Amino acid sequence: MKKVNLKGLDLTAYLETLDNGLDVIFVPFDNKSNYHISYATRFGSEITNFIPDGEKKACKVPDGIAHFLEHKMFEQESGEDPFTYFSQSGTGANASTSYNSTQYICYGTKNFLDNLRYLIRFVNAPYYTDSNVEKEKGIIAEELKMYADLPDVQLESRLRQNVYHVHPRRVDIGGTIEEINKITKEDLYLCYNNFYSPDHMFLLVVGKFPMEDAMKVIHKELDSRENKAGAVISKIKEKKTVRKKEDSFTGNIQVPKIGLGLKIAISDLGEYDELELDLYLTMLSTMLFGSSSLFREEARSNKLLNSFYMEWDNIEDYKTFLVLASTNDPKNLIKKLKEELANHKLEEAVFQRMKKVWIANEVKMADYIDSTVNNIYDDMIRYHKVIPNKVDIIRKMNMKTLEKIVSNIDFNNISVVTMSPQDEVL
Amino acid sequence: MEYVKKDLGSFGLHLIQTDKFKTITVRVAFRSPIVKEEITLRNVLCDMFLQSSSKYPSRRDLTIEAQELYACDISTYNSRLGNYNNLDIYLSVLHDRYTEDGNFKKSLQFLNEIIFHPDVRGGKFSLDKLEIVKNTMRSSLNSIKEDGANYSLLRLFETMDKNRVSSYRMVGYLEDLDKVTPESLYQYYEKMIRSDMVDVFVVGDFDFKEMTKLIRESIMIKTVKRQRIPYLLEDVRPRSRRLFKKEVIDTSQSKLAIGCRCHNLTDYERNYVLSLYNVILGGSGDSKLFQEVREKYSLCYAINSVPNKLDHLILIRAGIDKENYQKALELIDQILVNMRKGKFEDRDIQVAKEYFCTALDEVEDSPSRIMDNYYMMELIGTDTISEKRRKIMGVTKQEIMKVAKKVKMDTVFLLEGDSHEES
Repeated sequence: MKKVNLKGLDLTAYLETLDNGLDVIFVPFDNKSNYHISYATRFGSEITNFIPDGEKKACKVPDGIAHFLEHKMFEQESGEDPFTYFSQSGTGANASTSYNSTQYICYGTKNFLDNLRYLIRFVNAPYYTDSNVEKEKGIIAEELKMYADLPDVQLESRLRQNVYHVHPRRVDIGGTIEEINKITKEDLYLCYNNFYSPDHMFLLVVGKFPMEDAMKVIHKELDSRENKAGAVISKIKEKKTVRKKEDSFTGNIQVPKIGLGLKIAISDLGEYDELELDLYLTMLSTMLFGSSSLFREEARSNKLLNSFYMEWDNIEDYKTFLVLASTNDPKNLIKKLKEELANHKLEEAVFQRMKKVWIANEVKMADYIDSTVNNIYDDMIRYHKVIPNKVDIIRKMNMKTLEKIVSNIDFNNISVVTMSPQDEVL
Repeated sequence: MEYVKKDLGSFGLHLIQTDKFKTITVRVAFRSPIVKEEITLRNVLCDMFLQSSSKYPSRRDLTIEAQELYACDISTYNSRLGNYNNLDIYLSVLHDRYTEDGNFKKSLQFLNEIIFHPDVRGGKFSLDKLEIVKNTMRSSLNSIKEDGANYSLLRLFETMDKNRVSSYRMVGYLEDLDKVTPESLYQYYEKMIRSDMVDVFVVGDFDFKEMTKLIRESIMIKTVKRQRIPYLLEDVRPRSRRLFKKEVIDTSQSKLAIGCRCHNLTDYERNYVLSLYNVILGGSGDSKLFQEVREKYSLCYAINSVPNKLDHLILIRAGIDKENYQKALELIDQILVNMRKGKFEDRDIQVAKEYFCTALDEVEDSPSRIMDNYYMMELIGTDTISEKRRKIMGVTKQEIMKVAKKVKMDTVFLLEGDSHEES
């Protein structure tokens, strides 16, 4: 394995790519008692249009299929429930689906090698039948309803529907009840065979565990896995503009909420390394709207903000900055947000302070197995690699580059949505 | 890991020395018997600590100072521990070896500033800051039904025991919020600093003598107090006839919340047997509730059970379709009966023990869990980790069945989703 120091974090990563393309990443922690294994594929809810391996025509699978498949992975031909297997050794297990990935995890302190072997085996052995697919629809329908009832989820979905014309991010990760009801076992096998193939996948192990023995298990279980990743994911032709500039709707809420999306075409910004670009854009949003920003202080003092949440959507060709907030004065808050974006005043001292904070946070995260897992997982999904010198990259960030990137952003390409209490309209 | 407890008269100091972490974490825990009318006031105070201080006039100034100290984290929480209201103030900061000499000491001074030098002039807190906090809190109290799962629990507790401590809403009450003034808040602050019982915990790599000196200098608590009432709530009998209550809400999913009383448990039963009972019942993806109600009958996505040991309760929660209410309830009832009859395997017990022991193993991986462990030892005399491990391994099936017979379904609350909108 290749040994790589994660500089400044007192951690070492060990990397190996199997012949079939599967990446293996180990990050040992000697002073902790538990381990965390993640077996993941770069297949998430966003992939619904593709040309399957060996075929010529593109197909469309139902929305929400990646998440449905994740649920059904836990169905084994032997009838054994993986949760039951893991629990015998007090090991926790779970799985999650995002827009661009799915992962299966187990974490515990005992029985490491058997659990590693079991995790690989159960994800490598799909077992879908008409009846077990049918049975899951009831469970997933309740899961979708649970999320759909949450006003914050309603707002975020509406905002994405207004920002994107055709991109699959318009649809929630779980899909819709109508769509998941269409799913068949054939659909599931099609997705599995095309995207649970070694070069789409990686295995990440962090914590206290025997590395050499782990690698032996991995070779034994995975070397023979055939790589047939010939699937071609259909290119999404998303327009530069936001689909809808302004929108409003009502919901079962007492206090109004607003959403804002700033859509940025990457091609407008110039040539940058993807990680670097992400760091600079996050720096921009942190300086303008982070917890120590003037904007937040003023909005709070003027009682314009009850809660504030921001994130970036990273999709092919675009970066979208999303803000979700609860406010008693939606009009005024939207006006202030737009003004702040249009003015985007950036100070060197703030920039330097934020770098210091980011570096400190990287070190802090390296203290915890779960944050380390999440950090490396995200990098593997986003950048397809472990980044050993992130602290250095942050340290080298400079104001000039930030200003240059920011000067190319079209700050008018914004979509805003207001969610009001039902009573106000009646 | 080495633990030293020092009685400093006005507060207990718990030093846990370990080289496992890159950070040093300090927790200052204030507690006093809970008073319903004071919960909201205490929540407001909890937030006010992070709005400003005497030296830092705004939240932004506080945040910037924290960032300058290499992103030290200060956070506050107000919660209920049995009959007590507990307010925690945490400081977490990188060890000097990752920052610069003196950074920890400065961070501790910053903590001292936040707790002991509030933004008070002429015997009252800043009105502006108070209005900001009240405004945010009002909006979250007004939005309380948005989180149906949580709201159904609040309503369950209120339905179950109208006047008992367990029914108090820890999020606070709108009518109390309106009454908070800069003066009343300051009086409450003074009272808390003067009369609350206090424990201070430090986890990280340090020298005992030096740390004791630093804490003495920065935690300026002067008065000596005694515990007045027990932590555990009074143990009451379950109802002879179950109480059912329903409330309708405009959502597509319904939330079922069931309160079970655990009556007459011994300390051993409460701390060990009940934990295993709960894991088997609904504490994991392998539990009876999960396997039956979700996996076998597809009635829900989320279902679980959690014990509230200090309140003598077990809570069962599920998100269901309202059409399936009766069926779900019958299944849950049957599972409770099966537990009493011993319809679970030795394997289930073994698994539950493994869960418990893994959780014990993981305590030492997290500063906050380490502190919780010692805090509970201090408050209710729980055993040490190795003693816990020994006792849990000895629990028998008969003991679990005996506890199962003491667990009775008492109150059933349904938050009925009545939305005609198709999602």
